[in-house]
Amino acid sequence: MPYLRPMILLAPLLMFLGLAYVLPFAGVIGWSVTLPEPGMQNYTAALTDPLILSVFWRTLRICAIVTVISVVMGYILSLLWVRGTPLVRTLTELCILIPFWISVLTRAFGWLALLSSRGILNGWLEGLGIIEDPLRLVRNEFGVVVGMVHFMIPFAVFPIASAMRSVDERTLMAARGMGASRTRIFWQVFVPMTAAGLMGAALLVFVFAIGFFITPAILGGGRSVMVAEMIYLRIFQSPDWGLAAAVSVILMVAISALLALLLKQLSPKGAK
Amino acid sequence: MKHCDTFTDDQLELLADKARQGKISRRKFTQLGAALLGSAALASRGMPALADDGQLVFVSWGGDAVDAYDDAYGKPFEEATGIRVRQDGSGPTEGSIQAQFESGSPTWDIVDADAFSAESLGKKGMIEAIDYDIVDKSKMRDGFGWEYSASSYFFSYIIAYDATKFGDNPPTSMVDFFDVEAFPGKRSMYKWGAGMWEALLMGDGVAQADLYPLDMERAHDKLKGFKEHVISFWGNGAESQTIMLNGEASMALIWSTRARLLEQDTDGDVKFIWQDGVISPGAMAVIKGNPGGAEAAMKFIASAQDPEKQLVMFDMLSQGPANPAADELIPEDERRFNPVAPGNFEQQIPLDVAWYEENYGKALDEYLAIVSA
Repeated sequence: MPYLRPMILLAPLLMFLGLAYVLPFAGVIGWSVTLPEPGMQNYTAALTDPLILSVFWRTLRICAIVTVISVVMGYILSLLWVRGTPLVRTLTELCILIPFWISVLTRAFGWLALLSSRGILNGWLEGLGIIEDPLRLVRNEFGVVVGMVHFMIPFAVFPIASAMRSVDERTLMAARGMGASRTRIFWQVFVPMTAAGLMGAALLVFVFAIGFFITPAILGGGRSVMVAEMIYLRIFQSPDWGLAAAVSVILMVAISALLALLLKQLSPKGAK
Repeated sequence: MKHCDTFTDDQLELLADKARQGKISRRKFTQLGAALLGSAALASRGMPALADDGQLVFVSWGGDAVDAYDDAYGKPFEEATGIRVRQDGSGPTEGSIQAQFESGSPTWDIVDADAFSAESLGKKGMIEAIDYDIVDKSKMRDGFGWEYSASSYFFSYIIAYDATKFGDNPPTSMVDFFDVEAFPGKRSMYKWGAGMWEALLMGDGVAQADLYPLDMERAHDKLKGFKEHVISFWGNGAESQTIMLNGEASMALIWSTRARLLEQDTDGDVKFIWQDGVISPGAMAVIKGNPGGAEAAMKFIASAQDPEKQLVMFDMLSQGPANPAADELIPEDERRFNPVAPGNFEQQIPLDVAWYEENYGKALDEYLAIVSA
């Protein structure tokens, strides 16, 4: 009976998930195999149509780039936040938290104002005579990556910082005591001990990035159609609900598989 | 308790059905419903989607349009008939209308939709056919009253240009829009394709009269060669305005409604031309099984044919009037902003609704594939 109490406490959450998520999603699965007629043709189309495949690949590519950059920058920021001097810590904390609280829309338009061809940055560079023609920094894939990284960094920082905080100081002291250099301590002691946080951050950012909608729509100049926007297109603009549902299910399965894989890696049994 | 609630709901639904079929009056429905639920419960739960005492929900694309529609059409209709018209700006895309219909109990009555969307949904049985005994075809321009929707205004996809750059030698045709040698600078085009295929073909030398049926291959080849000059494919009107306002593009294909605003906001630094514009009709359609009843909805559409009311829409949103009688009412110095005014209409080509109904989905897929590649 030891599991009964937690189950009772969990029950409302599970019921909510069931009603608000599993049930509607079952409906989506239903659409994917019944619209416009019963069969698997939507899945065949989703996995063979070059247009849809190109959207999948673009989404994966952008998400991979965003994940790598966010995690690396998140790691550096976390280092400053956890191990810096008190002043550095406070400043870092502000730099992480303030953007975190600002709406995603506001931030996207902020980047537009900063980076557009008539924006602040290009204005300065031209004024200083460094460039002649404005740099194309937004309304393309680069702009999408900038905007998404900016959004994702706090989500990378939180798991990494928490892993760094739980590092046992004594192991670092022991390494130093045995004559290891600072670089060696960092790469061979500190990084491996925070690897779980890194993996968690990468997973969180990647899964989050896959569903991105607003930022690519604003900063992509109408170009970088990612998978969420394509589903929107097939639901609202040129309706093909069956296909939209099939793409959603594929996305869902891919993300679940990824989650399962990483959870297995992170679980204590899987640890070396 | 659970069972009890379900039963009450069921009773309410039965009542609602009767009311919808006209077997009991709406007022009676409200009274009986209140008796079933108790009035306090009614206040907290609300009634099923049925207009009490007859109200209509008019769905448009949001922004300033919501107030404009209310002033021009909604309030006068309520005064004349007692039927309140609620404005909803959530955007009746083809898919949202389909979702409304398929829910089984739509909450929308009349939608401000693309005529080709209404036709294709109508053929699937999701839209009421327009009742031309109530809606007056003689108050529309020839060829702009369809089976499932009635034209209610016009806007055009036209060339807006930076007059500070091209003031002495302005563009005069769609060929100029695609000529970046003679007219340097970036361009902006519409993300959802409509009107753009026509522009691409005219830019490639196709005469207006030879456009339809559109040669998609040729249009898309033109797009592939030209897209590097397009800084942004705008998805909504505000975006198109921003790109011209901050000078990111020197020319853009934008809605005529926005072109007028741009000219006014920049004191003429951004100007526009009608030549080779693509005239696009906005239309009103009624969702099948709409809560307020088809007849009331048709009456609303008919009431919106009044030229005086359409003049209000022209003043507030620069919508070209659907009723040609309204052209005359527009003050002379503002007629140049009316996409369908004599003199402007002839320079442009009306969008072929039948072609879009047939081909839009597929054409848009290919267009976006090229845009995003």
